[in-house]
Amino acid sequence: MGVAVAGAVGLGLLAVPAGAGAAPELPPVSAEDLVTSVIQAKDPGPLHGTVTLDNALGLPAIPGVPQAANGTSTAQVWSDGAGKGRLSVPNGQSEKTIVDDGTAVWAWDSADKTVTKKAVGADRKPPQADVTDPAAAAQKAVTDLRATSTVAVDGTAEVAGRPAYELVLRPLPTERTLLREVRVAVDSEKRLPLRLTVLANGSSDPALEVGFTQLEFGAQDPAMFTFTPPPGATVTEAPARPGDAQQPQRPEPKVVGDGWDTVVIATMPPADAQQQQGGRGGTPDLSSIGKEVSGPWGSGREIDTAVATAIITSDGRVAAGAVPAQVLTEALSR
Amino acid sequence: MTLVESATTPHRGSAPMGRLLGAELRWVLRRPRTLVMLGLFALVPILIAIGVVVADRGGGGLIGAIAGNGLVLPVAAMTLMLALLLPLAVGMAAADAIAGEAAHGTLRGLLLAPVGRGRLVLMKAFGVLVVAVTATLIVAVVGVIAGLVVVGGADGTLVTLSGTTLGFGEAMGRVGIAALWTVGQLAAVGAIALAISAFTEHPLVVLASVLGGLIVFGVLGAIPALDWLQPYLLTTGFSAGADVLRDPMTWGELGSSTLRALCYVAIGGGITASRMLTRDA
Repeated sequence: MGVAVAGAVGLGLLAVPAGAGAAPELPPVSAEDLVTSVIQAKDPGPLHGTVTLDNALGLPAIPGVPQAANGTSTAQVWSDGAGKGRLSVPNGQSEKTIVDDGTAVWAWDSADKTVTKKAVGADRKPPQADVTDPAAAAQKAVTDLRATSTVAVDGTAEVAGRPAYELVLRPLPTERTLLREVRVAVDSEKRLPLRLTVLANGSSDPALEVGFTQLEFGAQDPAMFTFTPPPGATVTEAPARPGDAQQPQRPEPKVVGDGWDTVVIATMPPADAQQQQGGRGGTPDLSSIGKEVSGPWGSGREIDTAVATAIITSDGRVAAGAVPAQVLTEALSR
Repeated sequence: MTLVESATTPHRGSAPMGRLLGAELRWVLRRPRTLVMLGLFALVPILIAIGVVVADRGGGGLIGAIAGNGLVLPVAAMTLMLALLLPLAVGMAAADAIAGEAAHGTLRGLLLAPVGRGRLVLMKAFGVLVVAVTATLIVAVVGVIAGLVVVGGADGTLVTLSGTTLGFGEAMGRVGIAALWTVGQLAAVGAIALAISAFTEHPLVVLASVLGGLIVFGVLGAIPALDWLQPYLLTTGFSAGADVLRDPMTWGELGSSTLRALCYVAIGGGITASRMLTRDA
């Protein structure tokens, strides 16, 4: 009988999630210094990690993008530290794999056995080319943020087994936003952001959390960064820059407000232009989701999620922001 | 827990373990219903192969992945049959092992025979495990052959879900891992079935409990409000078999489902042993 009890206890232990360990002891650091060190940080070099996305945004289900709906999804990333990379997104009993071998990006989808090859050339910009003085840039970024938020380093955390600082952004009380705070966990040694957590008003659980659940640095198998289309796969070559030529110049979206209550108002292309661009495939049909709203600004449909609101008006404008619907309607009627 | 009763001395009248296991093996594998069932199981991969070839391409999930990629077939067949068919075989063996003997009145003879009760339980568990291993191996081997002969494609290699190509040897390794993992899950089902078998004289009760339990577990696992229950359910990990088709392999789900299965083995085995040790002859 003792064995049976042991088995039952083991089952219970398996079900207990691996809780967060004790907060690691790290030398204190100011928010400015932390941001500076993140911008100045060297490339972390070859790494392999598992990224987990915990989504509680409350978005409607979008066909083909199960990660958008509420739930947990994972992906594996590899990087050789020199521009090559591999991303693998398992999805039930299929998998999407994207390999960047330095000369081309291969996208493989096991569900329909297709490979899309897209050549990347010398036009790839070296990263961080425009950051001249990281310290000044960090100083400016933090000062800009302080106009609308409190920025602080709020303790430490252990993310993917690595000690990390928690950088916390909280909107000032004057900001009219749905968000409560945004936390970024920064690796204490490599100064690499390890986890992003978005908390919304009225809920203690994160609305969105994306971060490494497993991470190791060190040389990776070079075979991970090559891709040979398997036998039986359909290979299509994508143009180097798809849609650059045929995309008509869209009007710049209008931005109302600043800080946390920024509202972006964009104009959707008229319906006939959409049909010319390939019919129904392009834009998902949004007329069935959301709820009907109207006001002095007109009428439209309001889509609510945990962290953001969007209104699509009947005259083709889209207003969106991390704000309550009232701020959107004010921006629309402006 | 002592496995050998103090009353039986090891030298006088105690049969060697090897002979006991051999006797149980012959007893299990000579049963016509076991043989018929194993024969029918061999047909399943062949039927899937013919279905995939006739229907040509299309379809999602593992079945869709078989098209033009025959070595997926053994893994897909094992994963599909793990849902009900393979547990049915194990449940039948466990039902015959104790409840069946009790129904025929032959269990009394075994309990009175100069064989320790602990050994008797081990012998019966071995018989169930043999059925699990045999059934899984038949599905795997027939799956490999049918995959290569009927489906073919991919030049004797395995195209993983990650889009890489594995040679025949490595592909066989992956099939082997899937088979081993499947046997682990079946051992959990068998241990629980044996425990039920030890408490009843009606083999049908065991069979109904196993199949009904699996269906109830499946239903519970599908209710979103009960998602906290998922780590406790054996069926939660049943879809992990497809992970052997990824490259590099992800061990997380395979490992956690195997640990869960071992916990079920401990629960089932412990209950079976304690019931049999205290049972009246």
